[in-house]
Amino acid sequence: MPCDDRISRRQMLKRLAAGAPVALLVTVFPKLAFGVDRKPGEKRPLYAYAVDVSRCIGCCACMRACRSENDVPAGYFRTWVERFRVRGNGEVQVDVAATDDFVFKATPAEDVVKAFFVPKLCNHCEKSVCSQVCPVGASYESPEGVVLVDKKHCVGCGYCVQACPYGTRFIDPVSHTAGKCTLCYHRITRGELPACVLACPKGARMFGDLHDPKSHLSIFLRQRRYRVLKPEMGTHPKCYYTDLDLEVI
Amino acid sequence: MTIMTASKEVGAVRPDYRHAYPLLIIVALGVTAALIVRHSLVPKSFGQYGFYRAAALDDEKARLSRHAGRAACAECHEDVVAVHARDAHGSVECETCHGVGGKHIKDNDSPMARAGAKDDCLVCHRLLDARPGSFPQVDWQKHYQFVGVKDNATACVRCHSGHEPLYLDQDLRKARLHPLIQECTSCHIGRTDQTLKKPDGHPQIFQCDYCHPDLAKSFAKVAHAGLRCTTCHLFVKENAFSGRIVRNTNPRFCLLCHRKADFKSDAGPPTIEWPEHIKDVSNDAPDPKRPCVTCHQAQIHDLYRKDAQHAM
Amino acid sequence: MNYVFPNELHVTWTVMIVLYPYITGLVAGAFIVSSLYHVFGQKELKPIARFSLASAFVFLLFATLPLLIHLGHPERAFNMMITPHFTSAMAGFGYIYSSYMILVALEIWFVMRGDFIARARERGPVAWFCRALILFNTDDTPATREADHRIVKFLAGLGIPLACTLHGYVGFLFGSIKANPWWATPLMFVIFIFSAIVSGISVLIFHYFVVSRINGWKIDFECVKSLGRYLWGFMMVAVALELMELLSLAYEQTEATDVLGHLIRTKLFVSYVILQFMLCSLVPFVLLGITALFKLRERTAYLLIWLSSCLLLLQVLLMRWNVVIGGQLVSKSMRGFTDYFPGIWEKEGLITAGVIFTLPFVLLYVFHRLVSLFPDAEKLPSIKPGA
Repeated sequence: MPCDDRISRRQMLKRLAAGAPVALLVTVFPKLAFGVDRKPGEKRPLYAYAVDVSRCIGCCACMRACRSENDVPAGYFRTWVERFRVRGNGEVQVDVAATDDFVFKATPAEDVVKAFFVPKLCNHCEKSVCSQVCPVGASYESPEGVVLVDKKHCVGCGYCVQACPYGTRFIDPVSHTAGKCTLCYHRITRGELPACVLACPKGARMFGDLHDPKSHLSIFLRQRRYRVLKPEMGTHPKCYYTDLDLEVI
Repeated sequence: MTIMTASKEVGAVRPDYRHAYPLLIIVALGVTAALIVRHSLVPKSFGQYGFYRAAALDDEKARLSRHAGRAACAECHEDVVAVHARDAHGSVECETCHGVGGKHIKDNDSPMARAGAKDDCLVCHRLLDARPGSFPQVDWQKHYQFVGVKDNATACVRCHSGHEPLYLDQDLRKARLHPLIQECTSCHIGRTDQTLKKPDGHPQIFQCDYCHPDLAKSFAKVAHAGLRCTTCHLFVKENAFSGRIVRNTNPRFCLLCHRKADFKSDAGPPTIEWPEHIKDVSNDAPDPKRPCVTCHQAQIHDLYRKDAQHAM
Repeated sequence: MNYVFPNELHVTWTVMIVLYPYITGLVAGAFIVSSLYHVFGQKELKPIARFSLASAFVFLLFATLPLLIHLGHPERAFNMMITPHFTSAMAGFGYIYSSYMILVALEIWFVMRGDFIARARERGPVAWFCRALILFNTDDTPATREADHRIVKFLAGLGIPLACTLHGYVGFLFGSIKANPWWATPLMFVIFIFSAIVSGISVLIFHYFVVSRINGWKIDFECVKSLGRYLWGFMMVAVALELMELLSLAYEQTEATDVLGHLIRTKLFVSYVILQFMLCSLVPFVLLGITALFKLRERTAYLLIWLSSCLLLLQVLLMRWNVVIGGQLVSKSMRGFTDYFPGIWEKEGLITAGVIFTLPFVLLYVFHRLVSLFPDAEKLPSIKPGA
């Protein structure tokens, strides 16, 4: 009996040794899956954003609205508007109305052959790296697909700031936690528009529910050709751009 | 070193681990206690939806909206919102110029901002690289010179009301759809000087006179000849192929240039006193809404020609 | 031409985050030296085996300090262990660090138990402290020593993979950031481990020389020669890996090559090309090569090895700086660079960094006063300045 016992114990250990890596893979990898999946027809909304680049007039009303809606500290941006000026020799000049009054410098560039504005904001990626790398689960995707920060749980390590390929995150100097676009979660869950969408006078910024085929956004995305920023990052952004130039990254 | 001397000498000595047991027990207990404490510290709603505190969603939802939206403004200021909606600024939210309204709605004594300075308007309308050609932009110095504005500090709202910048006499959203009109600068950014001088052989499909040659020809002879067609026939781009066009006959639109005002010099377009002018020229009851073109057609273009397609 | 995303004007990870991998690197390196003796039986390293273990311990104690200073909410630091989000490379930190801390503390306890017992037999508060430390058990027989010896060997062996994990994971933390072209390379993991070993050996050599000089102890020539050879070997691998990364970057000509090339040629030219590679890699490589390959006078060999260790300490620090700060200087727009240099007096500034880096040495001295870290050190009989 003791002999049998020992063998069985050894076998068990062997099995354990062989099984452990498999068990580890099975238990760890489902957890490594993150992000919000699309489930067409589901009642829960999946919020997304679209930018019609050709409509933007660079007035930066969105930036002002964002700031007054969300108390974004000076010098930090949840959204911004970039201006691209392509010159005849192929050189690209990019600037941003990042000063206090959000007004683009009027000084014209020489020999501009093409110029346009590009509004930028958090892409609310389906596979958001920022949520992936948050060590404490303070950055997350809401059930509606909005990437948010739990300000009461965030330790302020800044790893998400490093991980975001789009530069849309920052460490808020007031709360000392990660700051970012919330898609005005407090507004959209009440049926209101995000402040930037509301403020845009030309309808360049659009917001809506991807799960609802009749939403303004779903229709827009069916009608237009669009792309996302840095698709090679594998983040699957939910911020869609139409008429976007190759120069924009 | 004690260990090495020990190991050299002994080899055969059976190790005595008894002194290590208390320490290992302490470590084991400490680790267990730490894990238990850790478990008890996990926030309650953690993991309800995913790897985060579900209560954080409620924290976020609990924030108050600052922007109320124009529907909220319309509850008290219905008249202004209605006027605003039909003119060129119809797509501009009230709060874009007046600041957020949340506080004002709760407490009516809390005043709203009133953006009226020149720089406020120039935020959108300053002539800027990259601003789409179909969007009205102004080089304010040239504009002031043209109108004859004496003081450069003069606010735009002295002529253009923020709610009715162009005094359209028709709701913009209901105006006629018209194929796209492009401006030279839409294509020729930065090279306008050369191409504008000699447009020979250029397909003129984008210019008004391509379809309306007679109207354009007659217009070339009148006093307004220097103006663009789209100055009065306001064109608002709707999509890549068409837009809406509004022919504006509201006298107040004409008065944007022609009204006498203390900030204007004589260098600009000829000015009149208003509404005295209408009394002076009317024998019967003066109607301030009567289009200027009723009398001044000769200065615009021949409105009663047969081929004038959009005669009133 | 120079465009950075507006939020990128603020460099999030400061000199504190430069210091953190540097200090953990010293931990890992020093621990591996002690394990070379305890596990692999490299007898010539005996004179500094204890010292290296104690160094690993004190550096480990202070490794988290720069992180805590950097965190926006240091009081929430334990969230890292309460709700570790294991999809994140950073989430394992709390547990890896704690396990390693427990392991090193246990190893020290077993290595120095005999000395604690000796101190416990004295009088005064220190004796009481030692008595509590040894859990009031003063059995010190060949049998307990044999037990201690076996446990130490086990712990030291277990500690090697753990030390590599602790530090390799720091490399992975950077190497896995796909958004940052200067960081995102699988090599980062390995580079960090080897540079950690280099810095650990260097700090031991450096410190051993300094304390021996101050105390007038005889420096063990075999020990130093052996350390010098190890240092030469590890630094060759570390630098080769760093160069390999640079080479593949230049050769692959990806979209990042332009902007990173510009980074190296301008912003990092002094700290990366001139200092890290030219001065602090090439020179020690040559010097250590000379000491390893040629028979030199002891004094010359000492000088060259010590000089190399100083330069390599600086090399690893510069490497950390160039990785951590350099990576953040590049805009994710690939169109420009931001600027960063720590202020002297600010919270995450140079003074703080200096104090953090000095504290382990102070603690090491306290440790040495408690239990001698160099029990076998011989006083030089005729110590004369410059002898």
